[in-house]
Amino acid sequence: MNETAQANHTEKKAFLVKSSSLKDVRTFCREVFEKLQIEQNLKDELVLAIAEAAQNIVKHAYKDNPDTKDIMVVKISCEDNKLQIAFYDMGTPVDPKKIKHREIDNIKPGGLGTFFIQEIMDAVEFKDGGKPWINHLVLTKKLKN
Amino acid sequence: MSYKVTEEGNIATIHLDGEIDMDVVEKAKEIIFPHIDAGKEIHLNLSQVQYMDSSGISVLIESHQKALEKNTKVIIKDVSKSVLKVIMMAKLEQILNLE
Repeated sequence: MNETAQANHTEKKAFLVKSSSLKDVRTFCREVFEKLQIEQNLKDELVLAIAEAAQNIVKHAYKDNPDTKDIMVVKISCEDNKLQIAFYDMGTPVDPKKIKHREIDNIKPGGLGTFFIQEIMDAVEFKDGGKPWINHLVLTKKLKN
Repeated sequence: MSYKVTEEGNIATIHLDGEIDMDVVEKAKEIIFPHIDAGKEIHLNLSQVQYMDSSGISVLIESHQKALEKNTKVIIKDVSKSVLKVIMMAKLEQILNLE
């Protein structure tokens, strides 16, 4: 099993903020993780976490603007076996304190995306992305040696 | 996502194919829910679903709960390894009817 990225690597790509872009986000991630030689099991988990974060942008940050022509940017970096996935969007500002997943034992539709992200990633942080970006989410995961 | 539905007696067998995400959940509901509303037992075959996110999981939960209300059930059959992993991550393997 090889979870180790062989070299430092960064790629980023812009996507229209709409649900039909989510498939393209996943394709982009899978291609990058293929280059990084991340093993299939971890790759599937990372793709899920990234797609959930992108979905949150479409579903929540642009909740009041579903016909937007805005873009969101996904940037994947791997340095010293630490994977960092950054998201940039210009939607409604996110209040990190208000983000929480539903209680996992309270079985009902919805509220699982954030839970999956937190389960899969080591760290989930909102940072200042600089202009023109409003929200800048950074997910990190340490890769095994 | 594509699909195939076959009906035999009171059982509707629904094969979904492809990736189930936010973009196709409404279509998935349109395929599944009318059969539940008609009181059919649903056999939902997910062997050809390679990817499912939280939106897809929500459809499974909603289908399961809707079926209980109609005194019927949704049986999830031949779930692919990748989708089973997501179901287990959501701790739903004891809640949903998996075969």
